Amino acid sequence: MASNLESLVCSLVPHARQDHSVRDELVAHCNEIISSHIGQSSEADIGHLADSIKRHLLRTSPNGVPALRFSNLLARLLEQPVLSRKHASLSFLQALGATPPTSARSPAPLPALALPPPPRPQSRHRSGSTTPAQSSPQPGRQLKGKTRADILREYRAKIDRPHLSETLLLRDTLFLLQGISGKHVQFTSIKDPDPNQLTFKEDPRCIIPAPTRTLIHRLAEVGYLYIRVDSFVNGRDGKTGIGMIEQSLCHHLQSQLTEYYRLIAVLESQMAASQGSEDIADDPSAHGREEETKLTLKRLDVWIQEWRLRMRMMSVCVEGARDAHGGALVNLIHGYADNGDPFVRKFTDQLLEEVSKPFFATLHRWLFSGELNDPFSEFFVAVDPQLAHMQYVQQSSTTGQLASDGGFGGFGGFGGESEDISGEREVGLKLWEGKYQFRKEMLPSFVGEAFGRKIFSTGKSLNFIRYSCQDSDWVATREKLSNTGGTLQYSDIAGLERSIDTAYQIASRRLFDIFFEKYGLLHHLRALKQYLLLGHGDFADQLMESLAPNLSRPANTLYRHNLTATLETAIRQSSAQYDPPDVVRRLDARMLEYSHGEIGWDVFTLEYKVDAPIDTVLDSEAMIKYLKLFNHLWKIKRIESALSKGWMRVAGGARTFLRVPELNNEWHQVRIVMAEMIHFIRQMEAYCQLEVIECSWKILLEFCNKKEGDLDALIEAHRAYLDRMVKKVLLLSAKAGREETLLHQVRELFTTILQFREATDDFYNYCLSESARRDAARDHERGIYTGPLRDSKPSPDTLPDILRRINEYGSTFSEKVQAIVQGLQTHADLDCRFLGVRLSFSDFYKSRREQAQSRA
Amino acid sequence: MSSRETDRMSSAQQTLDILYEISQLLHTQLDKETLATCVSMIENGVNPEALAGVIQELRRENTRIPEQSNVNGQ
Repeated sequence: MASNLESLVCSLVPHARQDHSVRDELVAHCNEIISSHIGQSSEADIGHLADSIKRHLLRTSPNGVPALRFSNLLARLLEQPVLSRKHASLSFLQALGATPPTSARSPAPLPALALPPPPRPQSRHRSGSTTPAQSSPQPGRQLKGKTRADILREYRAKIDRPHLSETLLLRDTLFLLQGISGKHVQFTSIKDPDPNQLTFKEDPRCIIPAPTRTLIHRLAEVGYLYIRVDSFVNGRDGKTGIGMIEQSLCHHLQSQLTEYYRLIAVLESQMAASQGSEDIADDPSAHGREEETKLTLKRLDVWIQEWRLRMRMMSVCVEGARDAHGGALVNLIHGYADNGDPFVRKFTDQLLEEVSKPFFATLHRWLFSGELNDPFSEFFVAVDPQLAHMQYVQQSSTTGQLASDGGFGGFGGFGGESEDISGEREVGLKLWEGKYQFRKEMLPSFVGEAFGRKIFSTGKSLNFIRYSCQDSDWVATREKLSNTGGTLQYSDIAGLERSIDTAYQIASRRLFDIFFEKYGLLHHLRALKQYLLLGHGDFADQLMESLAPNLSRPANTLYRHNLTATLETAIRQSSAQYDPPDVVRRLDARMLEYSHGEIGWDVFTLEYKVDAPIDTVLDSEAMIKYLKLFNHLWKIKRIESALSKGWMRVAGGARTFLRVPELNNEWHQVRIVMAEMIHFIRQMEAYCQLEVIECSWKILLEFCNKKEGDLDALIEAHRAYLDRMVKKVLLLSAKAGREETLLHQVRELFTTILQFREATDDFYNYCLSESARRDAARDHERGIYTGPLRDSKPSPDTLPDILRRINEYGSTFSEKVQAIVQGLQTHADLDCRFLGVRLSFSDFYKSRREQAQSRA
Repeated sequence: MSSRETDRMSSAQQTLDILYEISQLLHTQLDKETLATCVSMIENGVNPEALAGVIQELRRENTRIPEQSNVNGQ
């Protein structure tokens, strides 16, 4: 041992070879050092040691060749069996090798100048800024080879303004990260929105170097963001009226912040540890290891790096949450999910997963049970508070009353009841259309609007089934079934879409079934067609026949009970009696509001009453259209029956008892005109029934059989059916302001026909009395007494007057039909144009016109 | 000298060579002889870091002595 030391001393200090006293002294000194407790703490981890050596090598020569060589050598060394303390040897070499890089790169070129490179403080190659405590120059070493840094340090020491210790700054920065102002660095004001407001409290004795300032600035950003997020979370905490989505956002933020606290705690303990070890091990050799773990501002920056991004994201969300709400908030966050940065994307996805949970909970209830559970109105379906609690009362009372009325509409309390019914009718459609509203701005964009509509419709249907169709059992069963199918969540959008689709189909199908089977919608539609659109020909004829005498009277002499009684008779006498009683009892006859001078024909109408929930489809608006159609068709029917009766009279009478030979020609003319009228009205009727009503009905039936779409589609289909009929039956044209021109013309034509009919009646009566007079005269001539001879010859101007009227109405009719045909030929609607063709088949009217033109 | 002894010698020599190369890589500026001395000392249980301290101390001493002699000589 001692001899070893001696040889060491001799080899390293050549001077000592001659001088024994020096040698002894040095050996003693070395013994002292060796027996001291320097670096006792090192544990034998050769891997760690090798790593640190490699790192050192890489630092000194970045090309990596020495490091590679070292790895090689190390591997070989480890194979060697000789040494028992390889680790110790290595660590010895490392300790020695940790000499200044400058000296290493220029290893003493001239032995004559064999001065070791200027000694430097051990902390010199430590990363980051040098701390004054460690770099305080030791006197005696500065005599030669001063670098500029040394000079500067010296200068600083002289003016007594050293750099502020990094440890102090580090502590402050850790405070800053928690949003607390430190001793040397402070936030100007917590409330200040400007993140750059960071003040460095200038200590006259210390300097904070500019790079360090910038570094602290960067770090302080995280602290600032933290303050914002934290204040947001705290602000929402315990406040009432915060939406559930916001609450879950707060929860997520809070858990993120907890993570953040954990990091801060780790950093703080590390700082404390490194400070502690610094106090104890002031020995230079201890620094090497400590350097690996010690916390510095730059290391802090690296540690915080990820959190800076995270904090930024959180802060953005917080900013957005201030003015967005519910679904819009989800939407806002989702906007960040489309980011190329995987970190941002992942963070956003996580956040969305959390935040959208309440949304999906609401969605689930809405989609599978039709309940809107949304206390903070965050869902994209909004309920109308006025309609929210309005539930359908199944009209058992009304139904009972109707039934007890013996099949037909209530006789008593006519005014009040009809008002009631119209009020309820409003409700059906209003409830369906108005109870829930779709709010597009609240729809999360990852759902998509088409799906949003589907979701909306599904929930609405379920709700409707439950509350308006009294079928909550089914909904409850469905709900139970759906619960087994897994939950909805953000990460499974495809599954979500699938469940939406199935739920939509099931709900719509069910609603259709309920409407068609439970409530017999199709029966009602058919009944409307049969009765109000005069599909039952025999019924219409019967009704016409029995009502005709009544209806010619002024409207104010008609009584509703008479009408309903007649209606009942008509039903009994026609095939309508075989219709289900539920349909028949809804039929009612009543008068529209009339003004002075109107007769029964103008005000009479049939009515068909529907109740909930059918009135969702057959709403009051639709009923008005049905009445309009009925009115028109009824008029046509009336004209037709008037004409057919007139024809029977004219044709039959003329052959049998109207023997006034000089008027035969006039009768012929009358028959020609009447035939023309009958042709017109028959074509009109055929057009209405066959081409319009039946065709529309077929389309509607096809839709009903397909059972596609939801209730909205059904309502829409029915509406289209009705609109189509109204438009075509009433010959409405598309031209604005002139929609009803043709209709008016047709109505005028009807009046003309009736007037003509009246004139022919007069003519008929005249002929009748004339022939009777002549018969009497002839009898008298033959000497048979048949009664007192009336030789009151009708006044001579009666006949010309009647004939004039007949001719006038006949020609007026002809002109008007021509005008109508002309109008129809240019009609926008193809069916109406065909009606024109039918009316003027073989160009009857055209040739007439041309004749008239050529004659003129 | 048995063959085992020769083996031991040669492997010791190899080990020393490797260590010397490492020391050169690390720029310890030790010559082979000193290195051998140091390694044997470490094998005998001397604390390596303390030994490194000794080497440095001696080097410093070595530089100081000529200085002193220079000063003395002036």
